[in-house]
Amino acid sequence: MIQKISSAFILGVILLFTSSLSAQPTVESGKTLFRNYCATCHDKTMVKDATGPALAGAEERWAEYPREDLYGWIRNSQAMIAAGHPRAKELWDEWNSVMTAWPNLTDEDVESILLYITDASQPKAALGPSAGVGGEVEKADNSFLYLGLFALLAILAFILSRFIGSLNEIAAAQDGADFERKTLLQQLTSKKVVSFLIFLFVVIGGYTTVTRAINLGRQQNYAPEQPIKFSHATHAGLNKIDCQYCHDGARRSKHSIIPATNTCMNCHKAITVGSQYGTQEISKIYASIGFDPNTNAYIENYDEMSEDDIKTIFKKWFATNYIADKGQDEFIKRGEEVITEQWDNMVSSLTNEQKKSVRGPIEWERIHNLPDHVYFNHAQHVTVGELECQTCHGKVENMEVVHQFSPLSMGWCINCHRETEVQFSDNEYYASYAKYHEELANGDRDKVTVEDIGGLECQKCHY
Amino acid sequence: MKNGQQGIWIGAKDLNKDEAFIMEAQDEIQNPSLVEQLGNKEVTESLESNRRDFLKFLGFGVGAATMAGCDIPVKRAIPYVIKPDEIVPGVATYYASTFVNGGDYCPILVKTREGRPIKIEGNALSSMTNGGTSARAQANVLSLYDSNRYKSPQIVSGDETKSVTWLDFDSEVKSALKSALATRVVTNTIMSPTAKKALTEFTTAFPNANVVTYDPISSAAILDANAESFGDRTIPEYRFDRAETIVSFNADFLGTWISPIEYANQYASNRKIKDVKNAKMSRHIQVESHMSMTGSNADNRILVKPSEQGVAIAYLYEQITGNSVSAASRLNAKAKAALVKVADQLKETAGNSLVVSASNNVSEQILINAINSSLGNYGNTLSFSHASNQRQGSEKAMSSLLADLKGGKVDTLIFMDCNPLYNSSIASELTAAVEKVKNRIGLSYSKDETSSICNYIAPLHHGLESWGDVEAKRGLYSLIQPTISPLFDTRQGEESLLTWAGVSVNEGDIEQPYMTYLKSNWEESYFSTQDKYLGFQSFWDSVLHDGVYNTDGYSTASDFNADLESAAQGISSPSSSELEVQFYEPLAIGNGQYGDNPWLQEMPDPVSRYTWGNFVAVPVSFDGEKAFEGFNGLKDGDIVDVTIGDQTYRLPAIQQFGIMPGTVAIALGYGRSNGGFASNGIGTNVNSSLGNSNGLTQYFNVSASVSNGKGKEEEYSSVQYHHTMGVTAEETSTGETINADEAALAPGYGNVFQGFQGSLTERSIIRHTDLGHLEEAIDHLHHEREHHQGLNEHTLYPFDQYSEEKYSQGHHWGMHVDLNACIGCGACTVACMAENNVPVVGKQKVSIHQEMAWLRIDRYYYGDVENPNTVYQPLMCQHCDNAPCENVCPVNATNHSSEGLNQMAYNRCVGTRYCANNCPYKVRRFNWSDYTTADIFPANQVDVNGEEVPYGADNLTRMVLNPDVTVRSRGVIEKCSFCVQRIQEGKLTAKSEGRGLHDADVKTACQTSCPTGAITFGDRNNKKGELYEKFHSPLNYIVLEEVNVKSSVQYTMKVNNRDKTLDA
Repeated sequence: MIQKISSAFILGVILLFTSSLSAQPTVESGKTLFRNYCATCHDKTMVKDATGPALAGAEERWAEYPREDLYGWIRNSQAMIAAGHPRAKELWDEWNSVMTAWPNLTDEDVESILLYITDASQPKAALGPSAGVGGEVEKADNSFLYLGLFALLAILAFILSRFIGSLNEIAAAQDGADFERKTLLQQLTSKKVVSFLIFLFVVIGGYTTVTRAINLGRQQNYAPEQPIKFSHATHAGLNKIDCQYCHDGARRSKHSIIPATNTCMNCHKAITVGSQYGTQEISKIYASIGFDPNTNAYIENYDEMSEDDIKTIFKKWFATNYIADKGQDEFIKRGEEVITEQWDNMVSSLTNEQKKSVRGPIEWERIHNLPDHVYFNHAQHVTVGELECQTCHGKVENMEVVHQFSPLSMGWCINCHRETEVQFSDNEYYASYAKYHEELANGDRDKVTVEDIGGLECQKCHY
Repeated sequence: MKNGQQGIWIGAKDLNKDEAFIMEAQDEIQNPSLVEQLGNKEVTESLESNRRDFLKFLGFGVGAATMAGCDIPVKRAIPYVIKPDEIVPGVATYYASTFVNGGDYCPILVKTREGRPIKIEGNALSSMTNGGTSARAQANVLSLYDSNRYKSPQIVSGDETKSVTWLDFDSEVKSALKSALATRVVTNTIMSPTAKKALTEFTTAFPNANVVTYDPISSAAILDANAESFGDRTIPEYRFDRAETIVSFNADFLGTWISPIEYANQYASNRKIKDVKNAKMSRHIQVESHMSMTGSNADNRILVKPSEQGVAIAYLYEQITGNSVSAASRLNAKAKAALVKVADQLKETAGNSLVVSASNNVSEQILINAINSSLGNYGNTLSFSHASNQRQGSEKAMSSLLADLKGGKVDTLIFMDCNPLYNSSIASELTAAVEKVKNRIGLSYSKDETSSICNYIAPLHHGLESWGDVEAKRGLYSLIQPTISPLFDTRQGEESLLTWAGVSVNEGDIEQPYMTYLKSNWEESYFSTQDKYLGFQSFWDSVLHDGVYNTDGYSTASDFNADLESAAQGISSPSSSELEVQFYEPLAIGNGQYGDNPWLQEMPDPVSRYTWGNFVAVPVSFDGEKAFEGFNGLKDGDIVDVTIGDQTYRLPAIQQFGIMPGTVAIALGYGRSNGGFASNGIGTNVNSSLGNSNGLTQYFNVSASVSNGKGKEEEYSSVQYHHTMGVTAEETSTGETINADEAALAPGYGNVFQGFQGSLTERSIIRHTDLGHLEEAIDHLHHEREHHQGLNEHTLYPFDQYSEEKYSQGHHWGMHVDLNACIGCGACTVACMAENNVPVVGKQKVSIHQEMAWLRIDRYYYGDVENPNTVYQPLMCQHCDNAPCENVCPVNATNHSSEGLNQMAYNRCVGTRYCANNCPYKVRRFNWSDYTTADIFPANQVDVNGEEVPYGADNLTRMVLNPDVTVRSRGVIEKCSFCVQRIQEGKLTAKSEGRGLHDADVKTACQTSCPTGAITFGDRNNKKGELYEKFHSPLNYIVLEEVNVKSSVQYTMKVNNRDKTLDA
């Protein structure tokens, strides 16, 4: 217990400490800033030119000028060009385009970004999933405590029973009666204990059976591995993409809709290499839709292309990136092995017994499953009820791997319908509920819940 | 004699107080008894189980339990690669298109989900149908997913059938066509101008090719008569909405004749009572021999024998024009007397009347033209500028084709989406003759009698996979566009012909070459007919969006001019035969064209209410006092031998009211030998007994005899006496009329419950009157309703207060059914099956009362027992606000919503069926089997129609399922939900747009399918809504109002315009 408290305390202190230091330039804050400001134009690997130049070695290139010049350049490049700074002019001649001005970046911010650029442009030892983005402090696991308590009580009970036995023996001896002391075995197999145990078994067994049976088919916290290691934390959390940009059915259909591959391509035509998995995961989108990242163009007649040709395209793409990432030497050493591994991973993710080719739709594993006799409509909840997605799905923007947040049980639905207030006053549709409006006006009623307008009735969801 | 004061009855069993029927009506669940089942060897064997079975079941049980305990299997979510802009998964997309099958026509909207057509709605922009549909149009979506379809081009040589590529197929067919001596293209009516152009290109490329057109039910006589009278071989535009007096000689214009959706729509506009004070309606007189659906809707029916049709027309002609026809005197006296009065009425309404006939005799049709012409109806109720293209067949052409075949002059036959070896009038001779033909090329959709003799099979797209255009009436166009990419390796017929003709169709869109062809034809031919759009593409887009395009009509017809003298000689003369047989086209399956569609097979025939097969309808005679007896003493379901000419058929018999004595009637279109599983061997094929006169098919035969009963049909699948309401019985000792339901409650105690509401023998099921007594009837109705409501007020429960509190705000759903508009066509029943995933159960299950339809159309007779009037009553769950079913459910699986819906939660239902037992309307259905494989354990599935996989279980057929409606598994009750999925969708639309709910937001499937607008659904609280207005009509009544269930459905009183003087 004491240990728990102390560790929580230490954790708290660390958190406090880190947050107070946030003004200091760090790689972490640099990463965030980079993603927010720079990543749209500058390549994340720092070694490739994109809309803007590759940033690796930027500090060295500016080394001969004062540090302030670099800050100024990043904050407002156009002003520097206009002022005729030699390095600025040089770049202008080379690129013929200007960077968006970011006047709100502080010197510390720029330092952070530069730190991150230096960090990111260094080749990494191996690709691996990064640790989950910081979440809440984990809930304390109390089972040890209970186990200890249970053992303590058991010992106590044992001692007490011995004690009572001895007392009984003494009392019997005082009365002069014959007393045969029961052995532990006799005590444990006595009628009382056995019937108590049976009783306990029936109660606990019954309870477990019923709760298990009720939970049959429910899969809260279900978090299957998906064919693409798609990170909601990156997309919805870090990049703040609106949920309904991809799940565009939520506002107008019963389904929220898993986005089609062409929705992914809206962004990933430009963003070809991922921050966590490099080429491995994003390339799966290209394989699905038929986009050649080497040439930055859609492949003609992709439907008729042989699997070998597809393999060639993507192996080439993996190789190019591996070389850019790790250098030629590393590639010669173990490049073939890595890209074969990547290709095999792609094949195993995108194919299954029915689907033999990497082409075509990506078959995600469905996480939220309602039984067929339940009708659920996203539009009703999102558009009419104006609920946040997070109400039912949890903080998806923090989930690296999505899991089912809510139990999706009927009791859970019903409870929410009992408590949730209907958007009553600003929707003309509810004008037909004249009595409620009157009561609200009189102050006889403070809110109208979903239950009040029939939200608990069978055929609102079962038909 | 009559069932109480309102005098309604459902059949002879009802009138006769048949004991077995009353017993049946008392039991909710109709199962063959165990003894009966054990008598059936197959069933008994399947019931036997042994130790091994026990171990199997035990093992399965343990296995299943373990499996269920494991993790849930991985489900995949598969998105698009490139998502089409117009598709939002989960949201339905509608496309305007057209349903066409030969001359059957209906502009439609196709509802697709994720690119998969699942439901057909009417296109309200069409000036012909105004959004109406038919059962056939509704069922069309199921045929898209027919497992009997051809899936790739095939070449048959000898016993060997091989699937080939289109390239190989085309080269073989091309070389066959090049070396052919003479080619004939056989087709049904083609209404598409572009398809006709393609055919012309084909016949230009192969000058020895000719096109032969026939209709499965011939209308050649009307066409020929119009050619003779007006110089225009066409069918005029009929305007039933303008006619005050309608006389129809055996034309089933509301059900099957020419353009039934259009006619029904027009007809109903003059049948609804709009203003009670100034009530007006048309008078409809049907002259016929058997009870057709149209006849059943008529105010007066004049009965004649089939062979008397000609003289009946002649007699009317005589009365109208004054020209005498010698043969006319041979008409029966009763009909003569009636027709004299009919003639008077026609003359009174001259210019605003309409006389039509389905006769296939040119002379008779010329007389009909003469009658209409003499009445001055041309230009008003009939005209030629928008003449119909819906029938174009020529029987002469077919006869000369047959002659050519017999003479060996034709060595190549192309069958273009038709089945002449089954449903042409020369089917049997053709079957014998085609054997000699070298090249038999079938442009076929699915396996049928014709394609099975073809040696080249070019499989066709379904209409929902095709491009096309239709000119159903002159100047009224509509487009067909694909709503799904072809499911199989098929091709449009027109494209095949063009390819073989060497016309380059592969320019433009490679995947859809016929679209390019169609578009260029429209650019050439129709773009210039308008001046609204400057560019062709915008014109095309607008027509494609609307689905319909109207231009001025055109006419080449001259004034009426015919040789009436010779026409009067040419009419068919009445036969003196004792028994004649009338053949007719069944409403659901046509002359076999729709036989492969299980929805249509299971839809009850409107009049007889028989499913899955045909039967012989025999007249019922009345002994004048009490008993009703079928012809030859036959009872419903008796198997008889019907001998027509030299052929004998074995059919079940049905007692039918309103048939001319000395006449029996049999439906065509059944007894297919080479169709799919839904049509093969279902019913009996009687096509070969059709009559013939002057080379034209006559749909009757004068030499017939019917044997005595030869036992009962084992699977007698009529729903006539299923789910009956308010059946009365006779107390044996006192002879008093008692309530059969109550008698079932306390058997042997007589009328112990007399005095309670349950003992009412006078149930308000149908209310009817005639136009002349409308105001009295309304007074009486109000008095009755007050009485019932008064009874209902004697309650301990303050229902009104409760309902005021509960339903006064938000929505309170209700439905209104106009019995004057309902013609019984059954479009709503099929639409309901399509919308709500209602399973098909098959003939055997129907025979034991296990049909699943949520919406049934009850048919009642009233009035004259020998020639009764009919009323159709669509009956669905009435969503009672004081529902008896809800109170008895032990698990609260059925309960009431705050919007007045009687809800059914399938997953809560444990199948006690108490609710079905307690429902006074008998609208709850129990899933006896797992018809649609909703159950995950295959052991719970049973076979339907003897297949291993039940119908509706294979993945192709399951594509038709509506994803917004739960597929029910075995062991649960289901019933009409007022299309709650549509209600929820409509509410969501209104909420999302932040506005109040409009009528147009929520329309039930039955409502949108109805060709006559008989059904209105809406919110009773919406004071501006259509329903609110309809709920305040003085004609309204509530079915079984006296039992105080507070139903949410109101019906209008049925009003007829019967002229009683015609009965005398």
